[in-house]
Amino acid sequence: MGLNYQLVLWNKNKKVYDRFILLFVLLYLLLFWGITLITNSNTSLETLTIRSSGTLAILLLHIILSIGPLARINKKFLPLLYNRRHLGVSMFLIALIHGGFSIFQFHMLGDVNPIYSVFTSNLDYSSLHDFPFQVLGFLALLILFAMAATSHDFWLANLSAKTWKTLHMLVYVAYALIVSHVFLGAFQQETSPYMPVLMGIGFVVLVILHISAGIKEVKKDKQTYEASDEDWKYVCEIDEIEEDRAKIFIVDHERIAIFKYENKLSAIHNVCKHQGGPLGEGKIIDGCITCPWHGYQYLPQNGQSPPPFTEKVATYYVKIEDKKVYVLPKPLDEGTEVSPAIIES
Amino acid sequence: MKKDEFYIGYINQIPSKIKRKLKFTVWILVLVVIVFAVVFSFFQNKFKNSTFELTNVSEITGTFHSKPYPSVRIELSPNDYKNVLLLGFGKFGPDKDIENMESRLNSIEGKEVSIKGNLIYYNGKTLLQIADSEKFPVMKKESQLPERKINSLGEIEIEGEVIDPKCYFGVMKPGFGKIHRSCAVRCISGGIPPVFTTRSKEGNSEYFMITDSKGNKINHDILEYVGQPVKVKGALEQLDNWFILKLNVEDIELLKGNSKIYSN
Repeated sequence: MGLNYQLVLWNKNKKVYDRFILLFVLLYLLLFWGITLITNSNTSLETLTIRSSGTLAILLLHIILSIGPLARINKKFLPLLYNRRHLGVSMFLIALIHGGFSIFQFHMLGDVNPIYSVFTSNLDYSSLHDFPFQVLGFLALLILFAMAATSHDFWLANLSAKTWKTLHMLVYVAYALIVSHVFLGAFQQETSPYMPVLMGIGFVVLVILHISAGIKEVKKDKQTYEASDEDWKYVCEIDEIEEDRAKIFIVDHERIAIFKYENKLSAIHNVCKHQGGPLGEGKIIDGCITCPWHGYQYLPQNGQSPPPFTEKVATYYVKIEDKKVYVLPKPLDEGTEVSPAIIES
Repeated sequence: MKKDEFYIGYINQIPSKIKRKLKFTVWILVLVVIVFAVVFSFFQNKFKNSTFELTNVSEITGTFHSKPYPSVRIELSPNDYKNVLLLGFGKFGPDKDIENMESRLNSIEGKEVSIKGNLIYYNGKTLLQIADSEKFPVMKKESQLPERKINSLGEIEIEGEVIDPKCYFGVMKPGFGKIHRSCAVRCISGGIPPVFTTRSKEGNSEYFMITDSKGNKINHDILEYVGQPVKVKGALEQLDNWFILKLNVEDIELLKGNSKIYSN
């Protein structure tokens, strides 16, 4: 949680996660280099490096883009989300090897600046078939750099979660650029149909996962309650909320989470201050609402992170009448103390 | 009662059901990694057995000629001659190196010299990336070889691709086609001789040094046609082991689709 900034706040699960990243990277490189050297030994080390890093970056990007919707569809995938930024930074570094070697190989040691060469050595911008595909890869690499450079919580806090999230949604632009880079470049020359088919399968899987996750979110929203004025609103029966868990409803497009714990009810804004995680899908752990994404915690009665942490979310008045739960949809200032509604037994 | 499992990253203990799901996911990912690695490596087009002796410096002795592009003519066996194209470092032609040599030895045109460099060779063609031109050669001699004979073979119209021979004959894998187009443009723009290559139905490749219709260098005028399938026509000549194609850039026709040499 955001008390002070360290390069990486290591813990056991992050270390295990990173070991698996390293293991998968090594497995891929070992297979790619081994198979190429055995079956196509006239290759060069430069080409091996460029191709193995480029294809590995594409594979990692597909995995990264799958994690978000997978975690939405099934909460058991949330551990994959927990340290996704390390996977993202790893993918950027591998893409950088691909881009750096390609620029060195194809554009450096020449009669013009290599970056200028990337944009001008092929000027067929109006032709799809002859399009300068390297430009697309270069732009994608810039986006991946911006994302990797701002991946630390320092930037998350200073750019605001909303701006940070918007910046990091550019990963979809990067994905589109990379797919175009590959289809207008390598696949114009490599004759095997299996590579584009595999990329196509990857695309279809991503689309299906995102649509499935979207449908689930829409269904969840429909199960919640709409309210927009300042009157007390009936939400649900007390028994509909599980112990130490919450129920979420919507007011003016903002989600509110009502938590039930220790015979009490408290309501807070559903959005975690860290990365916008859904607090209402979290759980009360050690008396604190705990975000399912990265474990950020808030006290239910005031929406404040326990000292010494400083994050705060808005709170709401909540009451119980005849075992029915009501909420006053007007948000209070972030961190405002609100007496929990007591559940009479 | 159903156990309400909840994962928190910074707590070491992972709930059992979540742990089982993660183990299953890891195995799926192992499978995905293997499939991607196999498909992207095994199904690559075959690379050519061209060679670039990057770490080995050789010395060749022969008669220097600057036209149509700088080369050294060597005698392989009686009346059998080979022209070794000269290249500079990186994506440059040999002009700077020849300038260095001639600043020490005056003109070396038609003289016998020993030049050091890294050999590049494939399919009967040899090129040399000049090394140490500030020190070598240390002397020039009168040529021991007879005058060159350039045979005129008439007009020709042929389809293929303009490539830079440095990459095509050894430095890059592959050194042709769309992937390599930008690099070929840089190389030819930097003074490396443009070469036209084509492939017959039988699979035999031929290579042509390209000049303008008067036999002059054509590097900059041909840049927009480099690395693409084109049809060219012009006067065909033969100089020892090389064809020379003299053409007008205006006569070059861009073709749609992949170049025939992609199947090399």
